Amino acid sequence: MIPQLGNFAIILALCFALIQCIAPLYGYAKQQRLYFQLSRTAAIGQFIFLAFSLVSLILCFLNNDMSVFYVQQHSHRLLPLLYRIGAAWGGHEGSLLLWCVILSGWTFVFILLSSLGNSFSISVLPPTQAIHDKIIIILGLISSGFIIFLFFTSNPFIRIFPLNGIIGEDLTPVLQDPGLIFHPPMLYLGYVGFSIGFAFAVAALWEGKIEKTWAKACKPWIILPWSFLSCGIVLGSWWAYRELGWGGWWFWDPVENASLLPWLAATALLHCLIVGEKRQVFYGWTLLLAIITFALSLIGTFLVRSGVLVSVHAFANDPTRGLFLLLYLAFLIGGALMLYGCRIHRFYQPPHFQLFSRETFLLINSVILLTAVVTILIGTLYPIILDALNLEKISVGEPYFNTVFVPIMLLLLLLMGAAPHVPWRTAHVHIFWNKIRTVFLISLFITFLMPFAYSKLFEFEYHPLAGIGIGISTWIILSTLKYAYQRWHSQSLPFLPASAMIVAHIGIAMTVLGITINQSYAQERQMKMSIGETVSLAGYTFTFMQLSKSSHANFETLLATFAVKKAHHSPTSLIAEQRIYRSHDQRFSKPGILTNGWRDLYLALGTSLPDGAWTVRIYYKPLVRWIWAGGFLLLISGFLSLMNYRHKQNNYHEH
Amino acid sequence: MNIKRLLPFILFISIIVLFWRGLGLHPNEIPSPLMNETVPQFHLPLLFNPAHSLSNQDFYGHITLLNIWATWCSVCAEEQDFLLQIAKQNDFYLYGLNYKDDPAQAKKWLAHYGNPYRLIGIDETGQVAIDWGVYGTPETFIIDQKGIIRYKHVGALTSNNWETELLPIIKKLQMEAK
Repeated sequence: MIPQLGNFAIILALCFALIQCIAPLYGYAKQQRLYFQLSRTAAIGQFIFLAFSLVSLILCFLNNDMSVFYVQQHSHRLLPLLYRIGAAWGGHEGSLLLWCVILSGWTFVFILLSSLGNSFSISVLPPTQAIHDKIIIILGLISSGFIIFLFFTSNPFIRIFPLNGIIGEDLTPVLQDPGLIFHPPMLYLGYVGFSIGFAFAVAALWEGKIEKTWAKACKPWIILPWSFLSCGIVLGSWWAYRELGWGGWWFWDPVENASLLPWLAATALLHCLIVGEKRQVFYGWTLLLAIITFALSLIGTFLVRSGVLVSVHAFANDPTRGLFLLLYLAFLIGGALMLYGCRIHRFYQPPHFQLFSRETFLLINSVILLTAVVTILIGTLYPIILDALNLEKISVGEPYFNTVFVPIMLLLLLLMGAAPHVPWRTAHVHIFWNKIRTVFLISLFITFLMPFAYSKLFEFEYHPLAGIGIGISTWIILSTLKYAYQRWHSQSLPFLPASAMIVAHIGIAMTVLGITINQSYAQERQMKMSIGETVSLAGYTFTFMQLSKSSHANFETLLATFAVKKAHHSPTSLIAEQRIYRSHDQRFSKPGILTNGWRDLYLALGTSLPDGAWTVRIYYKPLVRWIWAGGFLLLISGFLSLMNYRHKQNNYHEH
Repeated sequence: MNIKRLLPFILFISIIVLFWRGLGLHPNEIPSPLMNETVPQFHLPLLFNPAHSLSNQDFYGHITLLNIWATWCSVCAEEQDFLLQIAKQNDFYLYGLNYKDDPAQAKKWLAHYGNPYRLIGIDETGQVAIDWGVYGTPETFIIDQKGIIRYKHVGALTSNNWETELLPIIKKLQMEAK
């Protein structure tokens, strides 16, 4: 019964999505507002039914309804409750349903906040009526296509009879982690949320003109998904680190790139929106970035689900799905870019700022970010390009990305420290240099000092290049703090609006610092160990204490306990696991990790050897947590920026 | 209309065309980064004789095919007949790498489907497979007489891809040796 209801709810949601998209067009013809109201109601109905459908799917998992093919493939009667909920989006069909739910959810929130905005404590500026109507139409169009795709090519409610004691194929062990519950929804809240920014841009192009408030109204709808996406990427990286067992946190895998690309584009976009909000310039560029950001989200979806690229994340390949997504991508983004080409000359604004100004810095920022997008896109697509031209077949890996991406980012980070100290419109080089001179020289000093100090004081290897990363993050942190200090004591400018920028920039600096230190000073050892043996790494000794067995709902596990000791400290125990999942006799090594925020000690069991010994990999990873801590600061900065919106709004109303 | 303004559109359409071509291609044939590299160092216990091991030392002096398989992989079962067939030829050594599997199950499975392998290493955790750059099962590597990886095939071997892809490479390696 439940699967039928879920399926039926998808059909109803599709009808609502079509009404949402078509009714206003009729309204334009008839000149009646009623149809626009209908469209809004339909959008809300669509969200309710899609959410109902997702709940039905989760219920199917909770009931272990093995007649549903999707449940059969991703669940098992022994699978713990928590992962049965997560399994609902552990495969292609279910995650696409989640995609649709989140898209309609964003539409719902947009309608809610725009119409009732002022009665909420966090209020957003609603766009003008004309823009608002068009945004709803565009979102309805996007949604209709995806629901059609979901229903006809990837229906999660397809059933299979007879059952004959099927117990289910179970969720892949790697997915059986709390990460599954949070990572995909966070990521999708990000990707899918950019649809609203896209709709804002297309609506403005359709309208043919842009109001002064456009950038201000659009900004929260970029910042909010951007914070979710930052958090989603960080969660994914953390998950990979904990689960995959070789201590890596970023692999330049096509699917990781697919999430990084929209993030970079959105970062460029939100900086342009800040300029647009304050100075009403760069509209053409901003509109293009809004389209590109959503296009990259869709391209990511396409790459993951079509099987064009090989990746550890890829879903089951199916050419019809790929073809549908490709055609839809061509229609949506191609249409938007065509419209852009035809209309963009109307948006030209004469620049009224000088070369050395905040505007220029932010423009350069977005150009650099877009360059980074292009280089990653080329690296990711290069194998397909060569293959399509019938040239050799290759795979592009970490060396390419590190060589190309790192220098581009260094340039960007250098500017990032400077930009806040450059005023809008026009600036003077000597005033600017006086402001940043001390901070700049300190950072330069640290660049050379730190690698030297590290090798002398802590007896690490001497890595002069690490100094660049350390120096540049110091530069950002010090210069941002200096700006914060000035802003705090400023009479004319309030502090709160700057707080989001301050937190975000420091977050990025922390991530950069974490990456640099971790890449340069991490240590690892791989060896054979028997019970009772001791090895040392980075000043710690690891003693293999004991092996014990334990039994859980759907797996047996072998627990290897190690005593970790630093000279003159009492030992701590570290437990690494070797799990055997009952459903498939699949083995899975779960590393043991000890952290104190400054460093991680990471130990993974390899294979058992005939003489009872084990191969063991031990890693010492300094500052690795900072990489993710920086990412969480980005999430916080997103919310701070909304708070700041509320502050401004209130002021606006009080005046 | 100014063509410059349509530049984003044109670029985008060329990407779409690229994807279109990409859909018709076989991404699984993208070789591993290990191509033309010496086999990675490893050491795995043998399935039928755990006291001995399969290691990178076993790849010298003859052409080797390394087949990655597992009992939980249904495609591997389909492939097994063909492996038995080609194992009769004496042009190469066929090794198996039992990936993320239970040794007892693996023995039962081989008893049922047949054992074409000269040696089988058990990689219970999949750590060695990571070093080989294995995406999944089945996968087959061709390694030359000097222990250098020359080809990787993802997916089941069939008489079709054997004749057109793998056999020519083996023939070429034999020619090189002479």
